Amino acid sequence: MPAAIPKPIRQFFAQRGWKPFAFQKEVWDAYQRGDSGLIHAATGTGKTYAAWLGPIIEWMQGDGEANPPLRVLWITPLRALVADTENALQLPLTELNIPWRLESRTGDTKASVKAKQQKRLPTALVTTPESLALFLTREDAPELFRDLRLIIVDEWHELLGSKRGVQTELELARLRRWSPQARTWGLSATLGNMTTAMATLLGAGAPQGRLVRGVVPKSVVIDALLPAEMERFPWAGHLGVNMLPQVLTAIEEGQTTLVFTNTRSQTEMWYQAILEARPEWAGQIAIHHGSLERKIRDFVEDGLRAGTLRCVVCTSSLDLGVDFTPVDRVLQIGSPKGVARLLQRAGRSGHRPGVPSRITCVPTHAFELVEVAAVRDAVIAGAIESRYPVERPLDLLSQWVVNIAIGGGFEADELLAEIRSTNAYKDITEAEWHWVLDFVTRGGEALRAYPEFHRVVQRDGRYLVEDRMVRRRHLLSIGTIVSDASMDVRYLTGGRLGSVEESFIARLRPGDTFHFAGKALEFVRIREMTAWVRKTTANDGIIPRWDGSRMPLSSELAAAVRNRLDEARNGIFRGPEMQSVRPVLETQADFSMIPAREQFLIERVRTSEGHHLFFYPFEGRLVHEGLEALMAWRISRLTPITFSMSCNDYGFELLAPDAAPIELAIEHGLLSPSGLVDDIPASLNAAEMARRQFREIARVAGLTFTGYPGQNKSVRQLQASSGLLFDVFTRYDSGNLLLHQAHREVLERQLERSRLGQTLERLSSSKIEIVDLERPSPLCFPLLVDRTRNRVSSEKLADRVRRMRARAEA
Amino acid sequence: MTLTLRGEEITLLPERAIYWPKAQTLLVADTHWGKAATMRAAAIPVPGGTTSDDLARLTRLLCQTRARRLVLLGDVIHARQGRAPRTLAAVEEWRTRHAALDILMIRGNHDRGAGDPPPALSIRCCNPPVVEAPFVFQHYPTESPDGYTLAGHTHPAVKLHGKGRQRATLPCFHFAARVGVLPAFGSMTGVAVVYPRREDRVFAIAEGEVVEVGAELICRLN
Repeated sequence: MPAAIPKPIRQFFAQRGWKPFAFQKEVWDAYQRGDSGLIHAATGTGKTYAAWLGPIIEWMQGDGEANPPLRVLWITPLRALVADTENALQLPLTELNIPWRLESRTGDTKASVKAKQQKRLPTALVTTPESLALFLTREDAPELFRDLRLIIVDEWHELLGSKRGVQTELELARLRRWSPQARTWGLSATLGNMTTAMATLLGAGAPQGRLVRGVVPKSVVIDALLPAEMERFPWAGHLGVNMLPQVLTAIEEGQTTLVFTNTRSQTEMWYQAILEARPEWAGQIAIHHGSLERKIRDFVEDGLRAGTLRCVVCTSSLDLGVDFTPVDRVLQIGSPKGVARLLQRAGRSGHRPGVPSRITCVPTHAFELVEVAAVRDAVIAGAIESRYPVERPLDLLSQWVVNIAIGGGFEADELLAEIRSTNAYKDITEAEWHWVLDFVTRGGEALRAYPEFHRVVQRDGRYLVEDRMVRRRHLLSIGTIVSDASMDVRYLTGGRLGSVEESFIARLRPGDTFHFAGKALEFVRIREMTAWVRKTTANDGIIPRWDGSRMPLSSELAAAVRNRLDEARNGIFRGPEMQSVRPVLETQADFSMIPAREQFLIERVRTSEGHHLFFYPFEGRLVHEGLEALMAWRISRLTPITFSMSCNDYGFELLAPDAAPIELAIEHGLLSPSGLVDDIPASLNAAEMARRQFREIARVAGLTFTGYPGQNKSVRQLQASSGLLFDVFTRYDSGNLLLHQAHREVLERQLERSRLGQTLERLSSSKIEIVDLERPSPLCFPLLVDRTRNRVSSEKLADRVRRMRARAEA
Repeated sequence: MTLTLRGEEITLLPERAIYWPKAQTLLVADTHWGKAATMRAAAIPVPGGTTSDDLARLTRLLCQTRARRLVLLGDVIHARQGRAPRTLAAVEEWRTRHAALDILMIRGNHDRGAGDPPPALSIRCCNPPVVEAPFVFQHYPTESPDGYTLAGHTHPAVKLHGKGRQRATLPCFHFAARVGVLPAFGSMTGVAVVYPRREDRVFAIAEGEVVEVGAELICRLN
């Protein structure tokens, strides 16, 4: 029988004209029974209260103690969400007159609050995984968390699938060991694999959790703005603003519009374009992305809540978090990329009763119209993407072990048992564990000869950190799992605007103009990891390109695109988007062909740049990245040849100075799924993916670190690029498991996550169509103009340089 | 690969060194001995062996060229923390095997912090510039009225592009009108891409060979 809901809680709901949802009651009840679980639903459907009111009801029905010690820990993935979360949680406390202290703890927390927390923690604490990790280095941490009742992990889908998710798993394992009575509840958007998501959250060997489905989403309308003239609409590029007139009209129709883009550069660009077209909107439109200073973002978010803004151009930085009720129109610039992502963004609108969520896609090139039609199909079919948890990353474990060693130390067996209670490390072998211990204490096998080396030391069977410099560097770098080297952008007069990647700033010369935070800025100088700027009126600036902004099309959406193309091949153009893109698809059929579902199209063309081969598996960028390296490697084994490669969500290109023997290669099993386990590492080695992957690993494991303001010379002397370290390890310490991890991560990413094997199965049973083009087709055009490339070569480097020279002279 | 500069013939070696036959002199820049040791001293687990391998490479060069003198163009020891007993012992052991070799070192920016090599290594240390007509030896690649500068400091590499949008970034020798820069000798060193002028001569090091690359192959800014 479900426990009764206390009267004050019922009144709290009634005063707002609400009634508790059945799923909220289910969670309160499960919490009372001591169960843990995961709640999944769209944003803004009452997940927060479902989790938060459980311990409040418990308190009301129990002791009613004033200002009890820490009971609830609320973990949120983004620092930017902390303030909003705190406000949302404070409301019932205030209204119900509950004498609990609620505070947050992040890198932004004031020193005075930190000092207070040093003495006594609040009853409920909102924090991030990184701040919690730092907190756990306090020696009195087990004591502080002793009365913990509930750990809530908000936006779990956002953490799952990343190393920050693994960090959270490790933290949960530690907290559960200290406070076995604590329950864990996750809040998540709906994913394709909810059971796995819950099992990962609750840990290995935990009792069966409760998977609770929240309110079923309201209907979603997905439509698109269509280009006026398809003939003049581009075939490639995501940076064009051709659709500006239609976007302006759409913004004028709505009260408050969110314009989502896929990259931060697009955000800056569209903001500029809108403001130039409608200067009278100055002050009513705003920009929001993750690199902007917190104060600027807060200002924008407040404006959204108050309904004083007409339009905000933003990235995924506004995907998460509390509701902005005044928002009544959502635009998506460029490809939707994934089904779940589009639904999340659509859910940002229509928070009024009876109004469906609506999202309007704005294509930046012709084929994105096919994606819009496809994403609607996928939504109807319920094809939501899955997210897969990361398995036993040893770089993160090294970081964690140092973290624990700082926080009072550990005994090896005890810590191993704790680590094995996480899903991520449940299968860690004794050998791997000992390698990690050896790596953090003696530096690993290769440093056996250096007894003076010590990071973590052993004293009476306990592992500890004694060196103050090791401690300091660890604490400074623990928050850097995701962030790359970035620099603050500040006015000479002092105000901070945000941060951009160091590599962008490095390209600027003093006096150059660039656009950031919606402003034209003149770059003055770099000092102390800060780019100093001043305002300028010059208007020809460049826009920063941030790394990691190219998100792949999900396989669910890619499959839906293949179906739509198959229809088009048969002359079926369902819906306005397909009708609109029809001329381009007909051009494709005319110049080349539209591949049917059971066909694999390869286009071949010669230009002044060399011989191009275009392959179209339509599996999304992630798969194509692996496939292009594999294909290039397999062909290069037949003849000495050097390929440069580019890929997008539809296919990939191999470009070589000479014609590649494609027919011969197909005969020799170019598309064969067999031998993959050997071929992939070999081909990826050549493409240096593991070396690139090592960048993140080296940073997490504490081998490299990004600078920080005020760093002194002694730190600068320690900087070595991860690529150099990768080479040094490969040469002098080839047994280093972090190297193996780099190779494994690449292999897993290619093989399992992207189902490379299945793709090859499908392609090798397809009918191969090789078409010689007289001129570039609409499909190959985006690849032809792409300038970001990987390379594979079976030629000696010196020969390559000689040949490059010979050709240049010819 | 030989090259004539101001009437003097010099040989560019793929081991990242220059041999000047007339003076029987081998030139290397930016050895950064003890860089890995510096990192180990800060508890960053970097495997050993880099300095020893670099010394073995020097030995090979000395045998091959029969040089009687070695000139180190600055940044010899990476940092004070890099003066680890093991590292210095390896250098000393190497030195005894080349006891007759005259070694001259021009101080660079790292040497200010790291200090001169121990006296036992009998390396003559000078402040720049050292003029030996027609050349001026120094660490920083700046022009000099006294001759053609041979220097280090920048760890030059060149980014090449060819047909079929091929790309490669390779360490290089970079000779401008009045200054020539050597690639960094130390294997624990990074590189900095240089953007030469059209009239400069650039020699890239590609898998054990020195190859001259023309301006048309070199990537330029923008």
